[in-house]
Amino acid sequence: MREPVRGRSGRAGAHEIIREAPHPPMVEPILRVEHLSKVYEDGTRALSDVSFEVVRGEFLVIIGLSGSGKSTLLRCVNRLVEPTSGRVVVDGRDVTAASRTELREIRRGIGMIFQQFNLVRRASVLTNVLTGDLGYVPPVWAVVNYFPPSAVGRAMGNLERVGIADKAYGRASALSGGQQQRVGIARALMQRPRLILADEPVASLDPALSHSILKYLEDLNRDEGMTILCCLHFLSLARRYGTRILALRDGRTVFEGRPADIDDARFHEIYGERAEEVEIR
Amino acid sequence: MSPATPAAPALVRAPRVPAPWYRSWRAYAGLLLAVLIYAYGWHVTQIHLGELWSGARLIGPFVTALAAPDVVTRTPLAQQASAPLYYGGEIPPGPSGGGGPALRLSQPSGAIGQRVTVHGEGFDAGHAGTLWWENQIGQRQQLGSFHTDAQGRFDAAITTPDVQGTHNLVIAEVVTGYGPWRPSQTLGVVTARMIETVFLALMGTTMGVVFAVPLSFLGARNLTRQLPAGAAVYGATRLLFNVTRSIEALVLAIIFTVWVGLGPFAGVLALGVHSMGTLGKLYSEAIESIDAGPIEAIMATGATTLQVVRYAVVPQIVPQFIAFTIYRWDANVRFSTVIGFVGGGGIGFILLQYINLLQWPQAATALWMIAIVIGALDYGSAVVRERLL
Repeated sequence: MREPVRGRSGRAGAHEIIREAPHPPMVEPILRVEHLSKVYEDGTRALSDVSFEVVRGEFLVIIGLSGSGKSTLLRCVNRLVEPTSGRVVVDGRDVTAASRTELREIRRGIGMIFQQFNLVRRASVLTNVLTGDLGYVPPVWAVVNYFPPSAVGRAMGNLERVGIADKAYGRASALSGGQQQRVGIARALMQRPRLILADEPVASLDPALSHSILKYLEDLNRDEGMTILCCLHFLSLARRYGTRILALRDGRTVFEGRPADIDDARFHEIYGERAEEVEIR
Repeated sequence: MSPATPAAPALVRAPRVPAPWYRSWRAYAGLLLAVLIYAYGWHVTQIHLGELWSGARLIGPFVTALAAPDVVTRTPLAQQASAPLYYGGEIPPGPSGGGGPALRLSQPSGAIGQRVTVHGEGFDAGHAGTLWWENQIGQRQQLGSFHTDAQGRFDAAITTPDVQGTHNLVIAEVVTGYGPWRPSQTLGVVTARMIETVFLALMGTTMGVVFAVPLSFLGARNLTRQLPAGAAVYGATRLLFNVTRSIEALVLAIIFTVWVGLGPFAGVLALGVHSMGTLGKLYSEAIESIDAGPIEAIMATGATTLQVVRYAVVPQIVPQFIAFTIYRWDANVRFSTVIGFVGGGGIGFILLQYINLLQWPQAATALWMIAIVIGALDYGSAVVRERLL
């Protein structure tokens, strides 16, 4: 195993960006993030000069403590959060420079899954899934809540895929947490995405359910070649599912590489000296 | 432990006991100020508690009327007979024959101030009756009363009164009983006005809703933030809400009666404008308090603002909007009862008339009607709102 490049002094090492070997040069990245920084209005510095690339078919797991900038980073990719500086390029299109219309077009190709599921709780499960198709239908149809039959068919198909087609006409609020997150996945699938952003998809769930949700993402990644960017709390989950890991600490990249390369020293660089690893099985 | 053990003053310090309030000059200054304020208030609002006692007799009839409002009535069943008595020497035509009660006068013509005897027969036995004098243009005055004997007859003497015209009529009326109870005319009038009041509130509320719903989206900070010039739109909308809300509907009603004339339409406009302000503010705050998660999720799908509103905002606010609207309608019914005082239509208009004309039983009917209808609506709207939220 290659020994990573260490910083000159021990203290500086913690914030040193440690890079693994670059990707094969022929593979076109689906996502390129260049010198991305985000400072919130209250002065909080969430991201500082973050750069990385993601190639097609990767399952990139972003790890780090709460507040390390993981969620901000994901939201900068589809500009739910407006970056302060830097560039984000998705599929060759500059997200940061996109107009409102272009941005909507880029967004509809990027599925997103949230920690709190973010379903419309009073609406039916089916309607929640159908909202994934909004980027493709004429906006005025929203006034009469119309979706074409083909979209309804696909929505039922996606619900079947996550195993809750029988709940299609129930209210989203009536579902358990795990079921709600599966609706969230079905909604993301409605977008026919090539890239899926998952923001702590299992953090609000019973740990025992973590694998059932992450397996869906793994299947999509492996069988359909969808690229996945996923924030996770637990290193054990990151190791199990990630093809590559990006670690943030205080808004800076502190590690970028293969899961197997995170040893004890790295672990403490990422999570701090006092951290102890817990495992989810 | 021996008493010689030295205390440790540096470590254990007795907590400082706050001085009792009566030691503080501030307490006395505050007390004096309060006395001065209330003394002036008493003077300036002209509180004379004695008036409550000395004026009691004026309000007495009203209190009595409250216990007996003009709600039902029954028609008296009367037997009537009449005979002409002409002034100025003209002889009236003879009595028309036929069964039933009949009246005979001692003389068919005469002059003012004469003594005339009246004989009646064919009435029901043993009833009280009234004698009336009706002049040429149908005005009546009471001449006296009588009792029919066992054969249904009576005799009475009258003095011919001083009236204009010559063709007079003496009428005897015996009330033999009463018809069935039926709703009084006042009840009909009051009910019609109450219905007008409820609909006045309905139309006013609807008008308020129609304007407040679209505007409230512009008055919600979390939605306008994403629009270009959002802060200006937000500020302008909230200003509109605050201005229309802070002008009392009664003042608006006066303005609108000048504009569109007296009547319910002015009331509808006044309630509509006022409701727009109050509902708009409540709606906007409901929108501001919604869960931002679904908005984020729908935006992430590439949805337009319209779609975000339809699928992420509307489902979250509909129950609250309905609850606020029902409450507003309920409040508007209460309010539209007084809008009539300034000519804005509804039950207040006739209530004011009854009070001004000292028609206490009728006023009591209107008040009871208001109390019952508002109480019922209050209860109904509370039940509906509880179900919704």
